[in-house]
Amino acid sequence: MNKILPVIALARRLGLVIIAVFLLAGSIAWTAGHAQEIPTPTLDQVQAVARELYCPLCNGVRLDNCDLQACEQMRQVISQRLAEGANKAQIKQEFVAQYGPVVLGEPPREGLHWLIWLLPVVAVIGGVTWLLITVRGWTRQTAAGHVAASPTPSAAADDDAYLARVDEDLRQIK
Amino acid sequence: MADLGLIALLFGLIVAALGVVLNLLGAWQNRPALVLAGRNAVYVVSGFVVLAVLVLLAALVTRDYSVAYVANQVSNTQELFYNISSLWGGQAGSLLFWTFILSVYAVALTLAQWKRQPSLRPYISAVLLAVQLFFLTVLIFAANPFRRLWLLPDGTTAAALFAPAGAMPAALSDGSGLSPILQNYWMVIHPVMLYLGWIGMIVPFAFAVAALVTRQLGNEWIRVIRRWTLIPWMFLTIGILMGSQWAYVELGWGGYWAWDPVENASFLPWLTATAFLHSIMIQERRGMLKVWNMALIFFTFELTMVGTFITRSGVIESVHSFALSNIGPLFLSFIVLSLFGFLWLLGSRLNDLRSPNTLDSMVSRESAFLFNNLLLAIIAGLTLFGTLYPIISDGLSQFLPIEKMSLAAPWFNKVTGPFFLALLVLMGSAPLLSWRRSGVETLRRNFVFPLLLGLAVGALGFVLGEQKLFATISFAVVGFVLGCLLQEFYRGAKARRTTRRESWPIAFFQLFHRNQRRYGGYIVHLGVVLIAVSIIGANVYQTEGQANLAVGESLQVRSYRMTFDGLSQSAGSTYDAVEATLHVERNGRALGVITPAMHFYNTMAGRDQPTNEIAIRMGLQEDLYVVLAGWEGTGQTASFKVYVNPLMSWMWIGGLVMILGTLLAVWPHSRESEVLAVAPRSAQPA
Repeated sequence: MNKILPVIALARRLGLVIIAVFLLAGSIAWTAGHAQEIPTPTLDQVQAVARELYCPLCNGVRLDNCDLQACEQMRQVISQRLAEGANKAQIKQEFVAQYGPVVLGEPPREGLHWLIWLLPVVAVIGGVTWLLITVRGWTRQTAAGHVAASPTPSAAADDDAYLARVDEDLRQIK
Repeated sequence: MADLGLIALLFGLIVAALGVVLNLLGAWQNRPALVLAGRNAVYVVSGFVVLAVLVLLAALVTRDYSVAYVANQVSNTQELFYNISSLWGGQAGSLLFWTFILSVYAVALTLAQWKRQPSLRPYISAVLLAVQLFFLTVLIFAANPFRRLWLLPDGTTAAALFAPAGAMPAALSDGSGLSPILQNYWMVIHPVMLYLGWIGMIVPFAFAVAALVTRQLGNEWIRVIRRWTLIPWMFLTIGILMGSQWAYVELGWGGYWAWDPVENASFLPWLTATAFLHSIMIQERRGMLKVWNMALIFFTFELTMVGTFITRSGVIESVHSFALSNIGPLFLSFIVLSLFGFLWLLGSRLNDLRSPNTLDSMVSRESAFLFNNLLLAIIAGLTLFGTLYPIISDGLSQFLPIEKMSLAAPWFNKVTGPFFLALLVLMGSAPLLSWRRSGVETLRRNFVFPLLLGLAVGALGFVLGEQKLFATISFAVVGFVLGCLLQEFYRGAKARRTTRRESWPIAFFQLFHRNQRRYGGYIVHLGVVLIAVSIIGANVYQTEGQANLAVGESLQVRSYRMTFDGLSQSAGSTYDAVEATLHVERNGRALGVITPAMHFYNTMAGRDQPTNEIAIRMGLQEDLYVVLAGWEGTGQTASFKVYVNPLMSWMWIGGLVMILGTLLAVWPHSRESEVLAVAPRSAQPA
């Protein structure tokens, strides 16, 4: 969703990020000057890293698709770091250190942030437990009250039983 | 002219308030004349809303720039088509349009239902009028589309209903025009569909409130609202898919869904409405889950309001929220008040909602529906949590070591993915379970074929595609569900063939014709399977490539080879177009040319937003998706982004299948009247 630029609302934050990018780029350029040159990475290689990162300014826009100037600079940083021999994991880590976990699009798996990851697990355990208890209650009531076990359709009358089921379902639904 | 619109809104507001009072008084004092007057209030208010819409439309079409909304949405060069769609292109207009659709539903419901269920009438009308009242309040006091533009003494312009001190009416010669990314035909229809979906959920809500108030909680109203829920549900489905299509063809990142807050806002009520459409079957058949169904109806309605709040108030910074305004507090008050009001009403009627029936077995259609509801509720809960997380984390970060951040696709995909898969499995297997109880023999007979097909498709996916665990499991699940559906079709037709001695085609036709609701539902499921296939394909097997190409150079992505032939420039009515031409070969065979472009709008709203006109070569097997990302100098070199999206078309085909299935399920059939005449049957031994 990279086309509607929320630039106006984000101008303030944009400024900060640009400064951060420059600092990062500057420090990298400095180290790069002292390191051995490695051939320039291809666009594909850069995008492969950017694809797994998110624009820290927009909501949910992947870095490989963000049109913001700041993101273009971030991609250049990726290119430089690749040229210096850094791998994808390292670069991602550096970006997290620089911009926070928002660049991953997901909460970090540490500290209290684990709660956000455990949420679905809690939901499942809670939901299924609640459902089982409720259903157990219902089925018990049935067992105690009247035994209403419906006869299982016999396998012999396969088709008839099936049609009966269709008709029966239909009749009751209506 | 614009004053007429304002006056219409004001009258509408007054009549709506009056109408609520009339309906309630009429019901309490049992005075039919008042109830009748209350009903007519629905017509009158809706009439005023239509008048206001016509006034705004006239202003948009005649480019009356003295109206601030028009000046913001229309420009001298903008086509008529987009001038009309500007009605819902901006905040105030879209809220007016919302109120208009609400009125359409209100009138349709009143006309259709007036003769039936007389005791519910005044309360249904009161709910409809109350919601109209709310929206008219918002329109008049917070987001008025009829505000005029004024030239202030200091030379700036301001929008206001009445002249600020010393101000002159501003006379603009041109407006700023609709935001360019909204100038796309999908974006013109998508909001209309979405609104028809969202706002239609008012109908079940109004019925639910009326049924609760009058304690008439039998099955009659549930029967009526099934169709009134299915139709908005269908529009919501269309709206969501059209939004995805728009994102796909307009935004240029090769995808269609980014878990953006606005997308989530459209998806949330869809989830709860889907849950409701399934769980009412239990209520219809067994008289159970009444409280749960009430909650689902309410939350579906509430989530449409939350969605409007999220998208229109800018409460969550989102790329979609092109409008920031002061409507937030009003919406929040409405949401909170209606929540507590409904909970109170529900709580006070709990005794009336008790069900005498019970569940016989865990292995039954009923329990499958329960799990389906649980899964949909969990997905909805997680999606809501993820959407609101920027606000939640902001609050928590004040006193806990938690980072304020927004959650994006990686989190949403990871936490909801397994639930969607489980939901698919359930979608396939639930129809194979009998109501009340399924014996071991039935299970064996029903599940052997689908399981085998699932294994086969999974294995095929593993061998032919990439050896990824998630993809393999997903394909196996899809195969299983497909097996379940095919088996249902086959057995139904076979049964008709043997017992009714019909030929295969007749048997198939009759199967669908005589059991529209059941088989319509299965067709919807088939559509869901197709969409699942495309989601798996595009997520797991998408390939991308990018390159800077000089004229004559080529780029290879998968089996496609694209050679850059050059750039050309042309002028459209409101924009300049820069178009790249590439000729495409696939495995050495020429496929013709493909022309991705960029449009530079010369309207005020579009000046800084060139749009991507993506070139897509659609195919049943895969889409070739080419974006012109930029160029250097006079266009001797240009950069391109290319995606190959396997199976993408099946998403839109699946959507069409879903619509067809829904239409089949809601279409009135000949047996309807006869069936409706039969007194409702409560649960009975099978």
